[in-house]
Amino acid sequence: MRRQFKTTVSDLAINDPRIAVILGDVSVYMFKDFQDRQPERFYNMGICENTLISVAAGMSAAGLRPFVHTIAPFLTERSYEQIKLDLCYNQFPASIVTCGASFDYAWDGSTHHCYTDLAILRLLPHMEVFQPGSRKEVDALIRSRYAAGSATYFRLSDHPHDIETNLEFGKGTLFKQGNAGVTVMTAGPILPNVLEACRDLDVNVVYFHTLKPIDRELVERFSDTRILVVHDAFGLQEAINEVPGLRTWYHGLPDVFCAWYGTVHDIRKKIGLDPAGIRQAVERVIRSN
Amino acid sequence: MDPRCQSIRANILKASHSSGHGHIPTSFSIIECLVAVYEVMRHDPKRPDWPERDKFVLSKGHASLGYYGVLSSFGYFLAEDMLTFGGFMSNYGCHADRLKARGVEASTGSLGHGIGIATGMALGSKIHGSKSRVFTLIGDGESNEGTVWEAVMVANNNNLNNLTIIYDHNKSQGRCMPLDKPVERFSSFGCDVEMIDGHDLPALRTALARQSDRVRVIVADSVKGYGCRTLVDNMYEWHRRSPNAEELGKLMEELHAPAV
Repeated sequence: MRRQFKTTVSDLAINDPRIAVILGDVSVYMFKDFQDRQPERFYNMGICENTLISVAAGMSAAGLRPFVHTIAPFLTERSYEQIKLDLCYNQFPASIVTCGASFDYAWDGSTHHCYTDLAILRLLPHMEVFQPGSRKEVDALIRSRYAAGSATYFRLSDHPHDIETNLEFGKGTLFKQGNAGVTVMTAGPILPNVLEACRDLDVNVVYFHTLKPIDRELVERFSDTRILVVHDAFGLQEAINEVPGLRTWYHGLPDVFCAWYGTVHDIRKKIGLDPAGIRQAVERVIRSN
Repeated sequence: MDPRCQSIRANILKASHSSGHGHIPTSFSIIECLVAVYEVMRHDPKRPDWPERDKFVLSKGHASLGYYGVLSSFGYFLAEDMLTFGGFMSNYGCHADRLKARGVEASTGSLGHGIGIATGMALGSKIHGSKSRVFTLIGDGESNEGTVWEAVMVANNNNLNNLTIIYDHNKSQGRCMPLDKPVERFSSFGCDVEMIDGHDLPALRTALARQSDRVRVIVADSVKGYGCRTLVDNMYEWHRRSPNAEELGKLMEELHAPAV
């Protein structure tokens, strides 16, 4: 996904001289060809995430369209006030692109785990929030939204899926329809686990890459069913519940620090976000009628 | 005292009295600095969006009364408008909103943000090949924030010689975490630093007009509450206090008293 981000931004920068890239000493080698072609628009600025955002706001004020990129917890949770005030309140739009969210850097421990980013950024006016699950979504969403006028958050993953989805901004995808009166809603790269878990279950499966604005129309189509939100972060359930009167359950993060190492798959399994764990959660909701 | 600076201070006292809001002493310490900035900058109050303009960002946003006073003096709006200061529907809040107050380049208030935004503006100006300069004013209390020093490092590392940082050395943070030896501190980061009397308008003009091959820092050696004896002698008591009618009269008298 990161490579796709680089490819898309490099391609856009050929025709859009407003694009600049600000890195927090991450993905630097990957951007070497961008740096070689447009050195005046490439800045490996330093490990100072708060200031990366403030500087991006100032560059935006000067008419540029900056992409700020580094590791998710440091650029979102640590720099929340800079995003809130310098980008959103000032209406100096820029694109924030992160790697390592949820448990992509599982082995680094809880300091590097990041699962509140989507939820907290969703709360900010003048902010759009994306959790693309595939490379195609990364490409389509960046192209359609980086210059649309709001601050944008693109949360990349090292474990993308390659499933075909509706690539349109703000639109979800209906994967499967069933008769159990249960709809499983999910977002981002965990989609394959959800589809495998629900393969032979008589449920609806709905997928989103855009968390803000959420596809309310699609959510409303299933408002008379019990909705299980399966997500490896916070934010999707809150977005879905913008539609009033839903009966929703959440299957995702526990209220403890996931203080284990290993891989993303190890942690997903531990907290029940592997296919077997998800299947058990869906079956519980089916039985709960 | 320069008549323009005296008039701006009088307008600040009236606005604070009228609204019951405002940080008067911290505003009074920066008036000569801001007047000098707006005298040196290329700007046009009739065209606040002029693309080639120089820009100023008030990083210590709580000195907004001083900022509004200077902007109104240079024709961005009327001094009378400041009487609504902090009111529900006012365009002139206790921290400036760039989408409301004419001439304000960035909305600030939380300390340690404006200097980073100004750094980005200066970098953006360089990327465009523009000659636009960027000025920002930070406080000594604000410089407790780590982001101030992040921005100074980024500005120096990117050789932003179109950026001038004015450090308002009014010593108000002496009661908490003082920043002593500011010239040495900023110099050690690579800046071209000059200490100037923060109330010497001609010297400030000269210092601000001078460009360098490095990030410029003007350490403005200022007096918190400058212009009114009462404010200078009681800066902590008056940090965030508005004068009643009687106090307003006394402060006006002090403001217009001949300099000793």
